[in-house]
Amino acid sequence: MLELPPELTPAFLARLEHLRIRTRREYAGLGKGSHLSPRRGSSLEFSDFRHYAVGDDFRYIDWGLYGRSDKLYIKLFKEEEDLLTYIFVDASASMGHPGRDRKFDAAVATALAIAYVALASGDRVMLRVLGGLGTPPPSAFVYGRHRIVELGRALNAIKPAGEVDFAPALARELISIRRAGKVFVVSDFLALLNSVERALGLFTAANMDVSAVQVLGAAELDGQGLQGDVEVVDAESGERLRVTIGPRERRQYRDTLLRLSHQIRAFCTRSGLRYALYTTDLAFDRFFLHAATSLGLVH
Amino acid sequence: MGFLSPASFYLFAILPLLVLAYLARERPRQAIVSSVLAFRALREMRGERFGGRPRFTWWFFLELLILALAVMALAGPYLTRPAKLAAIVIDNSAPMQARQADGRTRFEAMVAEVNDGLNHGEGNTRVNLYLIAPTPHQAGSFSSPDAAVAELGRIHPTDAPAPPNAITGLVTELLADRHVDHIIVGTYRPFEAPIPPHVSPVVVGTAVPNYAIGSFSITRPNLGTDIEEGHVELGNFARDAAQLTVTIAADGKPVAKAQAQVAPGEVTTLDFANLPAARVYRAQLEPADGFPLDNVAYAVGTAATTFSVLFVSPITTDGLSLRSIPGVTVTTRTPETYTPEDLAGADVVIFEYTTPKELPTTNTLLVMPPPGDPLFNFRVTPSAQLRVTAWPTTDPLTDGVNFRLLNVRSGEYFQQHPWMRTVIAGADGGLLLTGERGGHRFVATGFNPFPYLGRQNLPMSILTLNMLGHLAGFGSQTGIFRTGEPWIVPAGVSTIVLPSGKKLPTTAGAVFTATDEQGVYRLEGPANASTRAVNLFNLNASDLENLAPLKVEAPSAAAPTTAPAVRQPLAAYLLIAILALLTLEGLMVYRARKPLIDA
Repeated sequence: MLELPPELTPAFLARLEHLRIRTRREYAGLGKGSHLSPRRGSSLEFSDFRHYAVGDDFRYIDWGLYGRSDKLYIKLFKEEEDLLTYIFVDASASMGHPGRDRKFDAAVATALAIAYVALASGDRVMLRVLGGLGTPPPSAFVYGRHRIVELGRALNAIKPAGEVDFAPALARELISIRRAGKVFVVSDFLALLNSVERALGLFTAANMDVSAVQVLGAAELDGQGLQGDVEVVDAESGERLRVTIGPRERRQYRDTLLRLSHQIRAFCTRSGLRYALYTTDLAFDRFFLHAATSLGLVH
Repeated sequence: MGFLSPASFYLFAILPLLVLAYLARERPRQAIVSSVLAFRALREMRGERFGGRPRFTWWFFLELLILALAVMALAGPYLTRPAKLAAIVIDNSAPMQARQADGRTRFEAMVAEVNDGLNHGEGNTRVNLYLIAPTPHQAGSFSSPDAAVAELGRIHPTDAPAPPNAITGLVTELLADRHVDHIIVGTYRPFEAPIPPHVSPVVVGTAVPNYAIGSFSITRPNLGTDIEEGHVELGNFARDAAQLTVTIAADGKPVAKAQAQVAPGEVTTLDFANLPAARVYRAQLEPADGFPLDNVAYAVGTAATTFSVLFVSPITTDGLSLRSIPGVTVTTRTPETYTPEDLAGADVVIFEYTTPKELPTTNTLLVMPPPGDPLFNFRVTPSAQLRVTAWPTTDPLTDGVNFRLLNVRSGEYFQQHPWMRTVIAGADGGLLLTGERGGHRFVATGFNPFPYLGRQNLPMSILTLNMLGHLAGFGSQTGIFRTGEPWIVPAGVSTIVLPSGKKLPTTAGAVFTATDEQGVYRLEGPANASTRAVNLFNLNASDLENLAPLKVEAPSAAAPTTAPAVRQPLAAYLLIAILALLTLEGLMVYRARKPLIDA
């Protein structure tokens, strides 16, 4: 268990096993699973009728309809397949600041918790890291709950660093994804709103079901713990800004940051995306279980 | 508390500059943040907004304090506290050079005893140091006895005698100052009882048998000759008669020697005839004694075989007739072209029918000077036929002149003159006057002896040669310049080289007071150079056997004077405080030096 974050305790993982991912669309999977697929299959979920053809299984003839129309129709059912789950974790430099907030750790815990939910449900998970230093996790889908350790080990080796331009980075990732599925994006989304909108809009345009998890630090919301005259340096772009921070400025800063967060939430709502905000002063397990619905997780 | 330079407080005006610097300067700390996105909404830093509220951090107040302390230090603060005042009167006159039996000079022995007599432990004792030669003066004021003693170590006795009553006069004056608690007098002369209670005499030395040269002069007996005559005055201040020997050296070469038996307390004269012409003469007295200064004397000669005359007259041809005298060179000037610088190369200057505007710095013959000039102020009575009525027979000016054959023709009679005496008298006043002024001889005639006709007018020629000889011989005498006595710097002199070799710049007409050294002084100017011998020549100072005691009487009532105080300077403490504060600030800056803060 050492590869997993401390937040993912056995008890918490046990509770995660009761959850499963719900999508707003049906996506074709790669194997049998618990999610309805647009493919015809043998599930209990009725899909359509078609005329009987020689060789069809008599068990699927709708005898009631035959009685009313004197024609033979075969009932078609949907296939149940696994869900292709894509989890994108922002490992840009901004995720490492403020250090005391441990935003990246929270993002990793969130990603692993989602991955565990998916793996425990028999879904396939592809974990992608945006930016950062270290060996990236395997680029292929992983399957089976035991692979969570492998994912945890990979994420532990990543250190937040570098500058990530959200829209181009996610566009590049989208190109490498050949099948649609459920997408989770875990980030602080500290970028210009239109950049965030363009990035998330790419997934919706590609018929993906997107859930955005914004991770903000408690200290980050409180003026990043700064006081007085400060030259603030952007961790990613290196942009410098000289400000004087007092109680009034701290409130003003917090309001601006929350307004940015609300704008992202409003965009998600408008665009049919799911959104959840996690501030690091909350207990992770409480946040995750309470935000499960917002994230598209159901019991 | 006081300040040596209160004007430095004007520098406090720069303190607002520090506030301005804090208002304008940029010294924010840096912090790395996840994004500056939300910070853009804030107003820019107050410190960068001119006129905004300055960041009055402790840095500001620390630097304000350092700046204020620096201004205070520049103002030279000091604390004053009442002090005891001691006066040390040091006899630095020439007799203090006399050596004692132990090999030390009187001055060295006196300094040692004064040092022993001072209470070095009293830190609040202020000491005023006085010297009495060449004139009584204060040599310094010191905040502690140790500082005064250190200064004493740098003082040397002069070659000059002390003025009469210099010590008693100075001590009486100090006794009148009620703030002077203690007076230490270091001298070689004994004190007569009773001695005032505040006076501590430090008397050094004992009676010393001494032989001295009282004067040494070189004169030229005849005009146109290069033979000089020397005259040495000797004094015996020992208890017994002594055979004294004087050796004359001309330009360093012994040329004459003479002896004289001198009784105790007596003064005698030795004459040296036929001395060769030289620039510098040195007389050495033997046997040697404990006071070598007065066993040596210097004199300067003309050292020239020619005799230079500057002739200033509207009729310059009159002067050219003097060229017929062997060894005489004549330079002529009209009154309009004459300048005092022309005197530089002249042994004698002759003004005919004119007078200079300032007193010449060489011996001068005035021929029929115009009346009423402000410098000489002659009052004359013109006469168509002058008549000589009286003349001295022993005067060198009239020596050998046959006055019955002397025809002075027309001219003017002089009335009574303020400082010139009549040598040749006429029927209605003086016809030839002579006198001394500014160390030089002046002769004025109411008749015109020129042109010089030689044997064609023998009485007038002899009189002319007497006048020129009288004027020429005086310039080579050496006895008039004594140590400690100032002179007027002659015209054309810009630098005076002391016997020690030290050069002092000066200007003509200035009073030259650096005459404390015995020896030959060199007077240099752009055009020429001359020498001047300065000697002790004070037999009172040379008499080390019979010392008159000093009598000091306490004044009846002390005159109030300013209360003395010891100044305790505080600038050093302020500098230490500034350094400590700077170090503190430096340490704090070093500790706080985080170029980037991980927010």
